Amino acid sequence: MEAHFILKREGFDVSSYGTGTHVKLPGPSMREPNVYEFGTPYKQMYDELRRKDPELYKRNGILPMLKRNLGVKTAPQRWQENMADGYFDVVFTFEEKVFDMVAEDLHTREHILLKPVLVINLEVKDNHEEASIGARQTLTLCQELEATDRWEDVIDDVISTFEQRHRRKVVYTISFY
Amino acid sequence: MVGMMAAISREKFAGLIDSAKFSTDVPSKLDNLRKLKEKFSRAEDPHLVTEFLPQLLDLHTDRCSPVRRFVAEIAGDIGLNYPDLLPEVVPLLITLLRDGTPAVARQAITCGISLFRRALTKMAIQGLYSSELDDSLESSWVWMLKFKDEIYSMAYQPESDGRKLVALKFIEAVTLLYTADPSASSEPPEDQTSGEMPDEFNIAWLRGGHPILNVSDLSIEASRNLGLLLDQLRYPAVKSLSNMVVIVLIKSLSAIAKKRPSFYGRILPVLLGLDPLSSSVKTGHVSGVHHALKNAFLSCLKCTHPGAVPWRDRLVGTLREMKAGGLAEEALQQLSVGNSVITQDIKPSTEVSAVRKRGEVQDANDLNKDDVRGKRARSAASLTEEATQDSKGNSGNTKKNVDNGPVQQLVTMFRSLVAQGEQSAAMLEILISSISADLLAQVVMANMPNLPSVCPTQEGDEEMDNSGQFGNLTAYLTEMISPSNNSQVTHSASETHSDEPQKPEVEGEHTTTKDDDVAHSVMDSVTDQDVVPTDPPLSVDIPSITTLTSAIPLEDTDIGELEDGIPGLDSSTRNDDMPEIQVDTSLADMEEDSPEQITNIARSSVDNILPSMSTDKSEELSPKAAMTDVNSINSSTATSVQLPSKLVLPKMSAPVISLTDEQKDNVQKSAFIRIIEAYKHIAVAGGSQLRFSLLSYLGVEFPLELDAWRLLQTHILSDYTSHEGHELTLRVLYRLFGEAEAENDFFSSTTATSVYEMFLLKVAETLRDSFPSTDKSLSRLLSEVPYLPKSVLKLLESLCVPGNSEQNEEIHSGDRVHQGLSIVWSLILLRPPTRDVCLKIALQSAVHHLEEVRMKAIRLVANKLYPISSISVQIEDFAKEMLLSAMNDDHTMDNAELAKDTEMEKPLSESVNAITKDVSSEVGQPCTSETPSITDAQRCMSLYFALCTKKHSLFRQLLIVYKNMSKAAKQAICVQIPKLVRTIGASPQLLEIISDPPAGSENLLMQVVQTLTDGAIPSPDLIATIKKLYDTKLKDAEILIPILPFFPKHEILQIFPCFVNLPPDKFQAALTRTLQESSQGGPVLTPTEVLIGIHSIDPEKDGIPLKKVTDACNTCFQQRQIFTQQVLAKVLNQLVEQTPLPMLFMRTVIQTIGAFPSLVDFIMEILSRLVTKQIWKNPKLWVGFLKCAQLTKPQSFGVLLQLPPAQLEIALNKQPVLKGPLVAYASQPHLLSSLPRSVLVVLGIAQDSQSVSHVQSTQSQSQAHSQSQSQTQSQAQSQSQSQAQSVSQAQSVSQTGDTGNSDKEVVVDELKESSTS
Repeated sequence: MEAHFILKREGFDVSSYGTGTHVKLPGPSMREPNVYEFGTPYKQMYDELRRKDPELYKRNGILPMLKRNLGVKTAPQRWQENMADGYFDVVFTFEEKVFDMVAEDLHTREHILLKPVLVINLEVKDNHEEASIGARQTLTLCQELEATDRWEDVIDDVISTFEQRHRRKVVYTISFY
Repeated sequence: MVGMMAAISREKFAGLIDSAKFSTDVPSKLDNLRKLKEKFSRAEDPHLVTEFLPQLLDLHTDRCSPVRRFVAEIAGDIGLNYPDLLPEVVPLLITLLRDGTPAVARQAITCGISLFRRALTKMAIQGLYSSELDDSLESSWVWMLKFKDEIYSMAYQPESDGRKLVALKFIEAVTLLYTADPSASSEPPEDQTSGEMPDEFNIAWLRGGHPILNVSDLSIEASRNLGLLLDQLRYPAVKSLSNMVVIVLIKSLSAIAKKRPSFYGRILPVLLGLDPLSSSVKTGHVSGVHHALKNAFLSCLKCTHPGAVPWRDRLVGTLREMKAGGLAEEALQQLSVGNSVITQDIKPSTEVSAVRKRGEVQDANDLNKDDVRGKRARSAASLTEEATQDSKGNSGNTKKNVDNGPVQQLVTMFRSLVAQGEQSAAMLEILISSISADLLAQVVMANMPNLPSVCPTQEGDEEMDNSGQFGNLTAYLTEMISPSNNSQVTHSASETHSDEPQKPEVEGEHTTTKDDDVAHSVMDSVTDQDVVPTDPPLSVDIPSITTLTSAIPLEDTDIGELEDGIPGLDSSTRNDDMPEIQVDTSLADMEEDSPEQITNIARSSVDNILPSMSTDKSEELSPKAAMTDVNSINSSTATSVQLPSKLVLPKMSAPVISLTDEQKDNVQKSAFIRIIEAYKHIAVAGGSQLRFSLLSYLGVEFPLELDAWRLLQTHILSDYTSHEGHELTLRVLYRLFGEAEAENDFFSSTTATSVYEMFLLKVAETLRDSFPSTDKSLSRLLSEVPYLPKSVLKLLESLCVPGNSEQNEEIHSGDRVHQGLSIVWSLILLRPPTRDVCLKIALQSAVHHLEEVRMKAIRLVANKLYPISSISVQIEDFAKEMLLSAMNDDHTMDNAELAKDTEMEKPLSESVNAITKDVSSEVGQPCTSETPSITDAQRCMSLYFALCTKKHSLFRQLLIVYKNMSKAAKQAICVQIPKLVRTIGASPQLLEIISDPPAGSENLLMQVVQTLTDGAIPSPDLIATIKKLYDTKLKDAEILIPILPFFPKHEILQIFPCFVNLPPDKFQAALTRTLQESSQGGPVLTPTEVLIGIHSIDPEKDGIPLKKVTDACNTCFQQRQIFTQQVLAKVLNQLVEQTPLPMLFMRTVIQTIGAFPSLVDFIMEILSRLVTKQIWKNPKLWVGFLKCAQLTKPQSFGVLLQLPPAQLEIALNKQPVLKGPLVAYASQPHLLSSLPRSVLVVLGIAQDSQSVSHVQSTQSQSQAHSQSQSQTQSQAQSQSQSQAQSVSQAQSVSQTGDTGNSDKEVVVDELKESSTS
């Protein structure tokens, strides 16, 4: 969401999705996470958690996060359920598991348009600081890709330059719509 | 109307095209084109399109590549919508294919794909229903084919750019179109006359025949295409490809494989053999390819088509190596759960595992007993020969494994060792014992999914004896190793796709090389078998064959353990074999077609059980076994060709009991408990090290709801020592820590963290509560766990700093504090990251209100921690802060709260008694209201004091703050300082501090010096320092008092006046010091010298008030034991010789006579000497002289009479009372005659003339007579007389006032004297 937020701010046409089955937020204890369906508005989650235990959720950053999300979009969406959103040029994932899911999902879809889509995984730890670093790097990468006419011809170079500059590993693959 | 509309549109078209053509900037051109495209797609009139097409197509020569690309796009659209125009559109697209800009070409290809599909569909459908085809259709088809060939050529061009990617996709699409879709209906759609194109197309529709399209030709082309695609991925072609191309190829191929399962056999070997490392050397982006492969395999795995089934094991194996075993499992599970039809499909795989069992037993048998290398070689060779008979053969092109981590490396190592057979059993042992148990557990866990799906259950056995459970576990462990081998063989099998027979080389290896080569060759030969089938169904049995060799390790390791005689294992080996027999026999009824084989199995496994493992028997048996086995392979491969039709094996449908979730939970729980129970026996038997890791891994795998951790905890805590609780706890904690740190999602890592915390806390609490404080378990645990969470530190803190509120006797006993502190110490030493926190705990403890706690902590901090350089500053700062806080401490403390502390104050106050003056009075009463704050001050300062003993320079701070300290704090310091100073001793640092003391610290400094000199001979340095201090800064002579005994005599005399100037009590002290026995034996100064010294003080010159000097004299006189009459006599004797006489001489004389009346004769002598010295010339002394004479009358009369008449007269005038008695005295006849006349005249005895003198003489005679008469009387009266006199005198003095204070003083002294006597 951080990346969505930043990219949106920079004027990219961007959507964000989850790939799991539910939206899971940490709860009062490890055994009681807050589970929501995709599509539950952030506002609702926000209000609910604030009612439950405002202190706890403020402390662990959930409430501020939800507040930020509120400003980005209304509700979390699920990747697998939103094929109708049309095609994207690039898909960013931030966890290898998700990358696999997206790649597989794209692979299993019928390739009709044969429009290539670049899937990039930027491994980002699931905490607030890492997320903001990752989001900024995502933005850089997007801008670099945007600068090239068509990424298909230069992607290898772009990625390796990026990898060298940011000293991190990037996994990417290509798929078709 | 319509015409008008058309006209309008035409105009618009023309306008748009023109503006597109002549616009100068790209965006506006594109904008126009976009509008144009919209128009085209909505154009009602095909003629319009036809009319403008050429104009539009002209644009393809536009300078701007985006325009050209757009033209291609529009052309594609037009081609789709107006198939008749294809002959015009396609040539344009072909031209655009060669466009310099890849994007344009890509667009052309993209359009080409849909166009081709559309054209083909149209062709096919038209051909289906009529034998004649449109000319236009035919010609467009011809163009399409041309277009296709053009794209083909692009796809295989060596240079790879963006257009290659799409070209490959094009080939994929064509290949799919040209081959029959097995999942779709092969019946063509019914009604196609309407011209509507179906979305789906299946070439199978054309099986009935088609005028132009020949199905078999098309499938040949598809096959050729596939071959070309595959070739690209083969070495070395793959090396020249870019990463993206490789990914696209993999994806395309896997898509083809998925959609056309009949190609599995061709595609999967290539994909399985693709090594991401070697393929992308160029770019270095392995991971992308790796991912693509993984996903490809997964999607292939998920394919439910029967043709895909035989590949599952290999796919799973490979996925596992790619560390995606879990995903593979998931996929398999989905497969088996999701589809009811699949029951059929599963059978082959269950069969596979069954065959594996057979293989294991067979081969293990073979190898176990085979000590002779040649023997084994022979059996292997025979196998190879057998195998090569019908095989095309291949090289043992075993390539290096792609290692994904240490675990994978280890698995490989195990494999290779295991493959070497028995000889390396020892090596295996060593390897197992040398790697960490954790890693081994990981290896085992990694192989867990490879467990045979037919699990050898033996409830009965387990119930019968405990060793059964145990044995089971061992079996688990060993079996886990074997599947890993399994997968390797599968892997190596997958590598072999070279087509050249290499039989001779293989043979050569057999004869020349060593055991491991033999093992390899066995595998090779197996893979030979494996390559034979080119059709998918044939390869069904591959896994079973490969397991033949892989089974070796199972028995092998077992035997190794057995031989080593690990206690408790012996019984287990037997049990190991049991399940296998069961399985085998259960297999028997399934494999009805090969009875020979079954008997063989039975025999071999029975053989296997024999503990003797006799070699001779096996030697007979093994070749035969091998032979039969090979036969069975042949037979099974033969049968498996018809596998799809023969799949039904009803015996395998196991009864399925569906459990509720709760039941499942219970089952899992009891299973876990059972495992834990089994560990109790392991602990007894030893060898648990290896297994603990396993247990902790199990805990992680267990669902959280079942609370496996609590069970584990209970186990650990039920008997910490004998269950090796420490080791197990550590394993568990490290595992959890690993979970938490692994880059999992937020949720699972926080879960692990909290479990970790709870676990550790619980164990720590239990250790604290149930073990004696001397036990080191807790300390050891805390210093070895991965990290210490806050809660544990809190626990530690409560141990070290027992709070006021909870008065738990047991916990807060001193021993516990000691335990806590020693833990803290070891943590500080061993865990630098927690140093700060631990130090804080220790420091808190060091200012604890309970002295017992505090002293322990202080000892730790000062003795152990403070010397650690990295934290000494911190300690110092803290101590300083506390010291300062004591300084500002409020006096108003809650007395009641701290009243209890006064008890321990008492012993301290005893020592206080020794301490000096101003403080002692206060400290002497420990129960006053100030005591608590003293205690409190002490609480804060003790640490600093302790540090001072370690670092003497800290002492200065103490002196600095002393000035501003509260009274209580000062008291506290006074109590402690002697101890401290004594510990420090006269160190150079301390001396330096003493030599330059901060202002306001004098009192303390005095105490320090006192302590330093107390009971010990001060060093010359110390003396020098003090002297220097006195000389330079501190003018207070008090400082010198302690070292007085060590001064040389002349120096003392020099500075003596200063002491006299001190307050009386100080002087007293100085006096005592001076007179005390010095080191040389006698005192530095004798009392005589002291008194003389006092007298030699000149108040004016030395600047000392006379009062002080007299006080000093008084002080001396008070000490009659020291200043005895002898001393005084000596003093007076010496003083009287001095000229001028000391000012206080007469005073002293008077005092002497007061103190020692028996000295009166001696005094008279002095007085007479004074007379000779013309005492009257010194007015002050003269007064004293007269007074003395008066005091000593009548003895003084003699002296008085020695005075010259003039002086006598003065004297009698001054002391009229004397006159009478003196006259009487002088009138005595024997005197009268000796006295000069002038004197008599003064006395009034004689007249000026002779006559007078006569009368006088008679008078005096009579007087003398009467006096003699009353001699006895006078003695008695003298006291009262003198008293009366003195009173009168006092009156007279006060009236005259000329003698000042000193005289009055004398009077008072005399009064005292008289009252005492």
